[in-house]
Amino acid sequence: MFLALKELKHSKGKFMMIGLIIVFISWLVFVLSGLGTGLSDLAASTLKYAEADYVIFEEDTDFSLSKSILSEDLEKKVLEQKGVEAVASMGTVSASIRSADGNEENATKTDVLVAGIQPGSFMEPEVSSGKNLTSSSLNGVIVDESLKEDGFSIGDELAINGYTEKLEIIGFVQNETLNHQPVIFAQMDKFRAIKYAAPGSDNGIENPVNGILVQATDIDLDAVNEEIDGIEMGTKDEAVKSIPGYAAENGTIMMMLWFLIIISAFIIGVFFYVLTNQKTQQFGVLKAIGGSNVFVMKTVISQVFILSTVSILTGIGLTYLTAAVLPEGMPFNLRIPMVIIYSIVLLAISVLSSLFSVIKISKIDPLTALGRVE
Amino acid sequence: MSSIQLENVTKRYKDNVSEMIALNHVSLAVDKGEFVAIIGPSGSGKSTFLSIAGALLQPSEGEVFIKDKAISSFNEKDLAQVRLEQIGFILQTSNLIPYLTVLDQLLVVAKMKGSITEEMKQAAKELLKDLGLEKRLKKYPNELSGGERQRVAIARSFMNNPDVILADEPTANLDTVRAHEVVQLIAKEVKYRNKAAIMVTHDERMLKYCDRVYRIEDGVLKEENL
Ligand SMILES: Nc1ncnc2c1ncn2[C@@H]1O[C@H](COP(=O)(O)OP(=O)(O)OP(=O)(O)O)[C@@H](O)[C@H]1O
Ligand SMILES: [Mg+2]
Repeated sequence: MFLALKELKHSKGKFMMIGLIIVFISWLVFVLSGLGTGLSDLAASTLKYAEADYVIFEEDTDFSLSKSILSEDLEKKVLEQKGVEAVASMGTVSASIRSADGNEENATKTDVLVAGIQPGSFMEPEVSSGKNLTSSSLNGVIVDESLKEDGFSIGDELAINGYTEKLEIIGFVQNETLNHQPVIFAQMDKFRAIKYAAPGSDNGIENPVNGILVQATDIDLDAVNEEIDGIEMGTKDEAVKSIPGYAAENGTIMMMLWFLIIISAFIIGVFFYVLTNQKTQQFGVLKAIGGSNVFVMKTVISQVFILSTVSILTGIGLTYLTAAVLPEGMPFNLRIPMVIIYSIVLLAISVLSSLFSVIKISKIDPLTALGRVE
Repeated sequence: MSSIQLENVTKRYKDNVSEMIALNHVSLAVDKGEFVAIIGPSGSGKSTFLSIAGALLQPSEGEVFIKDKAISSFNEKDLAQVRLEQIGFILQTSNLIPYLTVLDQLLVVAKMKGSITEEMKQAAKELLKDLGLEKRLKKYPNELSGGERQRVAIARSFMNNPDVILADEPTANLDTVRAHEVVQLIAKEVKYRNKAAIMVTHDERMLKYCDRVYRIEDGVLKEENL
């Protein structure tokens, strides 16, 4: 630390340049991570952040809420299974909504996903403003806050294109989107009245829903799949990954992120390797006057550590500044655990990249101090 | 017992085809408070000798004793320890660390031994004062004259309170006046601090400050009668 700090202070300019590069790279990493989470939230937040551990779908429907139809009556049987603590049914249907005042041709329409849930079940999110479902008539819905930007507010009557059913906004919830659409939570019966209005569209299933979410601990998935006919139960993670486009989108962003992290490691590694090479004579002197290999290596490693730490922290600061000026509608969600994980990974990889220098140092002969050029 | 003793030391350099003897059965002992000079033409083996005496290089044959320790079988790590605790090197001027102030050049030695205590700081300041550098504590090497730099190197070599001081052509880059000054200072400190010292030099005018002078030629060491 002694030598590391003294040199950092003495040659500020040189280290500032490499520091700036690390700042920009970590900044980019965090912004990408925020965008990645934002996008994946858009595709899946309602499911991703649901307080559930498992999801039950109809057998052979690829974990797809739109393909699967189950009877809500299955809930009882599921609850009997070992380890199951609570269940909540859900149904989803895409719809296009407009303010009930406008007529069908002229009014601006917004595409949404109507999710039917039982009021009071663990699938009902906390409202950030307004009232929750339980306290309302059948028409009441609580909707994602992004609808505010489309001009909707509490008390608005909504009409659904192609249906005569009316809805009324009674509350707003945060970060509830699925399939890139804002979610409107409606009472289960209301949802059925919309999705299964046409006779026979429910395949003759009584009280149809599209999936059952399960809170459970120590559950034996295979046993449950065996025990109950016609269902397929998977973890919530599996269900999220089966959302169309989710895996591909996430994969792309993850790849960019990891490339950036590896590039930054290379830049740091090469920079310090070149510096170490320039300082062979100096390190030889340190060894000649009694410095152990470890002593000399520590100076390089702690320089990388200090420089990376300061740069990454600056990068985090810049990222939060960026987040503050990003437009409202931008899918950006910077989650603190992610920031911590990527910081640690960036730091660890940077320090690891000083390995080249460390190997070089171990090979420096203290004899170079005597000025013999070999 | 001598502070440093080389016993029948031979050093051979081998390459693919031939073998050359850089040191040929060399023996030398230096006691506390003695200042010994080694002179000889270029390529005669002076640097090789100093490297072996300073635990930088292992002899092909023979033994080196630092105080009572035989070091010819030591590994790299133990040799570094010997250099840290028992040997002080005065290297050529370029061998100060460019980003350290004069005081820090000495404190880095303390740091190698552990942590820097207030006591060590005082000792370092005292050493620098002895060498007339008390007004230069906060200067960097590039702000010093050649003579001042060499004086810092001298101070650094005494910083770890070693048993043996080794100097490799300490006057190579200095003008006559500075050269005399520097060697005089080394002699003074060696006597005052009671160290065994060996200096390799080209400059025969410096020999008058030394207690004994050896000449090395083709790897063979012989005492000179002055
Ligand atoms: N690493 C080495 N490999 C092979 N031969 C070497 C090596 N180091 C030194 N020698 C040879 O050993 C002999 C003694 O070299 P040394 O450096 O000790 O001479 P020197 O007396 O210090 O010379 P100078 O006054 O020019 O510094 C020379 O002939 C040199 O070529
Ligand atoms: Mg030489």
